[in-house]
Amino acid sequence: MSDLSAPGFPEEEVRRRARAGAAAAFPPPGAYGRVLFGSEHRGDRHRPGGERDPLDALRITPPVFMPQRLARLIELGREPDHRDVELTTAVGGFTSPLPVYVSALGSTRAAGGDLGLALSRQAGELGLPMVIGENVVPVNGYGRLGEAADRALLGRLRAYAAELPDGRGGVAVQQSTEDADAEVWNLVYSDPAALPLLETGRLAFELKVGQGAKPGLGGMTVLDAEAAARLGDRYGIDDVFGDGRVLRSGTPGTFTAEILRQQVRLMRNNFPRARVWVKLHPGRDVAEAARVAAEAGADAVTVDGAEGGTGWAPDAFPAEVGLPLAECLRRLAAAGPPPCLLVSGRMWEGGRAVKSLALGARAVGLGRAALLATAEDPRAGLVRFAECLALELRLLISALGKYAPAALDRDDVWSPEFS
Amino acid sequence: MTTDGHTATSPLPDPGRHLTAPATRSALRIQHQLLSSARSFLRERGFTELLPPVIGPVTDPGSRGSKQVDVDFYGHRYKLMTSAILYKQTSLLAFDKIFCVAPNVRLEPLETAGTSRHLAEFHQLDVEMAGASRDDAVRLVEELVVHMVDSAVRELPKDFAELGRDVEAFTELLKGSFGRMRHAEAVAELRGLGHAQSSDAELDWEGEALLSTRRDRPFFVTDYPKGSRGFYDREDPENPGLLRNFDLIAAEGYGELCSGSQRTNDYAEIVTRMRETGENPQKYRWYLDLVREGVPGSAGFGIGVERLTRYVAGLDAVWQASAFPKLAGVVSP
Repeated sequence: MSDLSAPGFPEEEVRRRARAGAAAAFPPPGAYGRVLFGSEHRGDRHRPGGERDPLDALRITPPVFMPQRLARLIELGREPDHRDVELTTAVGGFTSPLPVYVSALGSTRAAGGDLGLALSRQAGELGLPMVIGENVVPVNGYGRLGEAADRALLGRLRAYAAELPDGRGGVAVQQSTEDADAEVWNLVYSDPAALPLLETGRLAFELKVGQGAKPGLGGMTVLDAEAAARLGDRYGIDDVFGDGRVLRSGTPGTFTAEILRQQVRLMRNNFPRARVWVKLHPGRDVAEAARVAAEAGADAVTVDGAEGGTGWAPDAFPAEVGLPLAECLRRLAAAGPPPCLLVSGRMWEGGRAVKSLALGARAVGLGRAALLATAEDPRAGLVRFAECLALELRLLISALGKYAPAALDRDDVWSPEFS
Repeated sequence: MTTDGHTATSPLPDPGRHLTAPATRSALRIQHQLLSSARSFLRERGFTELLPPVIGPVTDPGSRGSKQVDVDFYGHRYKLMTSAILYKQTSLLAFDKIFCVAPNVRLEPLETAGTSRHLAEFHQLDVEMAGASRDDAVRLVEELVVHMVDSAVRELPKDFAELGRDVEAFTELLKGSFGRMRHAEAVAELRGLGHAQSSDAELDWEGEALLSTRRDRPFFVTDYPKGSRGFYDREDPENPGLLRNFDLIAAEGYGELCSGSQRTNDYAEIVTRMRETGENPQKYRWYLDLVREGVPGSAGFGIGVERLTRYVAGLDAVWQASAFPKLAGVVSP
């Protein structure tokens, strides 16, 4: 999968982290003492038009007086430093070593095959919660009836669980409206492969309401003629390309507040031993939807900002549709965020993560960054990338005079435009 | 950790030993008597017995974590029936009162292999009445169960003796008039007992057993909340969020015997409720087309045949009430 690329994303920065690990949080060590550094930051933080991402535009603002550092000083009997930041975080009913999870990677070719497996293995090794995306079962199969298990859900589940340390991590299996026909959740809930996760409280089901890359639309992929013939009775097919390949569209599903509320309740009723996650697209009523999901009993509510998503989408959507993650966070904070808010959208380094946590998120999701890091080194790319991210989180959180992600709050970020 | 290490512990004897055991024969004779008496009771009340389908493009969704079984029907993905509900409701276009003894297959979650209450393959005595209310259905279940148990106790004293089942256990049952409590009351009682029962969900198995243990005759739990049941249970217009449905729960800790409800037959409401239960209405095209044209309002229920047999015969586990039992995850003939 070395042909994987992510235009508009700081791909080279992510790949460098996957190669160098924690060292990539700093300028090259060879430059030390020879180069004068200013405020310019590596990595593309501007949209193609030059407009700055509103989350990137925020500044992290350490105070001078730090009562929480004093408390930590008293507790330790010495000056605390960044190594004293405890990053372990409860994420949607799971325990994660970082306030980080691996976002859903669906049925698209980019996440299929060896890359999906390598990513699952490394996420398991790290103990990071991982979401297995929609459509994997209806498109690639489950892996029990002769399908290639590596591309199917079963392969990813096994690869992840085989590496998972005790007491850490967990898998959230996503299901969207169209996956209901394939009974993904029922299949997993009654499968022996999932039992160890279920018995240790490390299985969740995620109801996918939408995604950042294409709010209001369902899944979209490009299929060759043969695959189209196989799936045509289950999905909408449009011959827009005129070269034999076709557009396959999934239905996004119809939601009202009552439909969402009842679906969450049904999940709790039908799968009492699994956690319930809900993933929302960055809709203008995202705060209300998050409240409905949380009140109905969701263990986690994920909001995918308009910057998020690895998925293939019509050009008009990433460019023009959906609220930026920063605005989602502002609206969610104003309405009172759900107890466990997870957010995603261009997450690749500690700054965006810390800002998101300060604005009310419990953890941040890695999508493109996780795929690119794994593509750079299928054996340890994601592990090294996570080491770098963890160091940055510790540095940033301790700079704020705090020692746990949950201690971050709105005062820790500033922007003249962001009230 | 590894992922494929689990196999459910099998309590099942080999089929020859099971079928020739005196206890199995007695249990199956009691089951036979329960069904015979139910058939005569229902026929006398004007019900027509139909033979239910075994496969269809769609079946009852959302059976608490169980998986449906897909079969290839000439290139189309069909399902083995998990419940006859959709066919029961639509068959009222032919007769006003119907019943059937329907086979059901549900790939239950693996933990159910040890509940003593679940089979992956079982039968339901299904009843449906056009124009009936929830209360009509509740009254009919009550009379039917009293009739069935009374018939078995009168006809088969030797089998009860063989099983060591003291028929005095049915003294209260045979007086009729089972108890009734709303779901919210059941939740309150369970919480009072220190059991953490969700108010939004069906009573969990442990909770059902707790309530069941504390009673000396079967009782109904009514008014389950929306979100805990299928799309076909009618929502109570006077109590939005509550359904006009019920479960019949046995005494002595045996748990649930029967589920039923007044059905919704309003097309728009059914489509909306399908979405609330995460379903894609497209799957239910044949059913929705019939509903749109008009099916009668109705109420009905399904009595778990093996579960009722287990309770009446006083068996330890529901598989003992089946000639060829299938438990979740247990490979068996």
